Amino acid sequence: MEKEYISIGKAAKILGITTMTLRRWDKSGKFSAIRTPSGRRMYSVKQIKSLISAPIFSSATEWVLSSTPTEPEEKFYCQTSSVFQNKIIELEKKLAGVSGTESIYPLIVAAAGEIGNNSFDHNIGNWPDIVGIFFGYDLEKRQIVLADRGQGILKTLKRVKPELETQEQALKVAFTEIISGRAPEERGNGLKFVRKIVPIAGIELFFQTGSAVVKITKKNNDLIVGHNNKSFRGCLVSIKF
Amino acid sequence: MKIELKKFGTTLLSRQSGKESLLAFLPSLEKISKDEIVEIDFDGVVTFSPSWGEEFLKPLYDKYGNRLVLLESKNPSVLVTLEMLEEINEFKFSRSRH
Repeated sequence: MEKEYISIGKAAKILGITTMTLRRWDKSGKFSAIRTPSGRRMYSVKQIKSLISAPIFSSATEWVLSSTPTEPEEKFYCQTSSVFQNKIIELEKKLAGVSGTESIYPLIVAAAGEIGNNSFDHNIGNWPDIVGIFFGYDLEKRQIVLADRGQGILKTLKRVKPELETQEQALKVAFTEIISGRAPEERGNGLKFVRKIVPIAGIELFFQTGSAVVKITKKNNDLIVGHNNKSFRGCLVSIKF
Repeated sequence: MKIELKKFGTTLLSRQSGKESLLAFLPSLEKISKDEIVEIDFDGVVTFSPSWGEEFLKPLYDKYGNRLVLLESKNPSVLVTLEMLEEINEFKFSRSRH
């Protein structure tokens, strides 16, 4: 019969993280252990299984919405831009072998690269709590997910367009207007590029910042900014291919 | 002079890497004579993005103008990125076949 509870060492091994991370998650309430009478941490096998099989998008959503700032699971965490570069090169190699993406995978990688690098470029030195981004993918489900707990598009875009007032306006500008002039900050046009890619690569894009949401597909490339009641400060993105 | 971008890597994505690549290449650019054509070869590049391109190609265009010639590429990320850079900066790169 399968054990109901396992030690912190075994749990860490299964999850591919360190026991130190598990202790930190236990303290913060992100992933709680139970204690034996002698005080040892034990982990529920059921909970561990559900953590492993949790869909990536749900994990990212939970992470950006969480009121307690904690680092994402190690397998999704890119604390620095160089970690992200390494992980995206890994993704590029894997995507090259996924059927149906042979001719478009450089576009998918470029889109994910622009989104992830934007998070770093616009938040460097100014991350409100957790430094870095969430970056995960599921090649079977053909989905890439990126998220950050950064300042969000309204705040960063206001530096070059102070007249912006709402998150919805900011998101629309980010996807549609060419921002020229590099002062007072180097401003990319990454999301315009991503929008261009959607119909060419036939991908589906979901992008949320604050309460503002856009969904773009090959068939519907119109930019209609919607509203989500579950608001958060940074960005949450899904690319389906 | 022909600049082979694959020598900077095959996944050219971030601004930081574009900046660093150009900076590292500056001494080689000093050898270019007054009327020489500067060709950019994309062969071997797998993924190319506007952030990298803006940091590397834009300063070269500013310096060499029409003497900067982009060699033909069929890579979709190169094609869309170049279109984007031209749109943002309101200029057209000179292009040529191999």
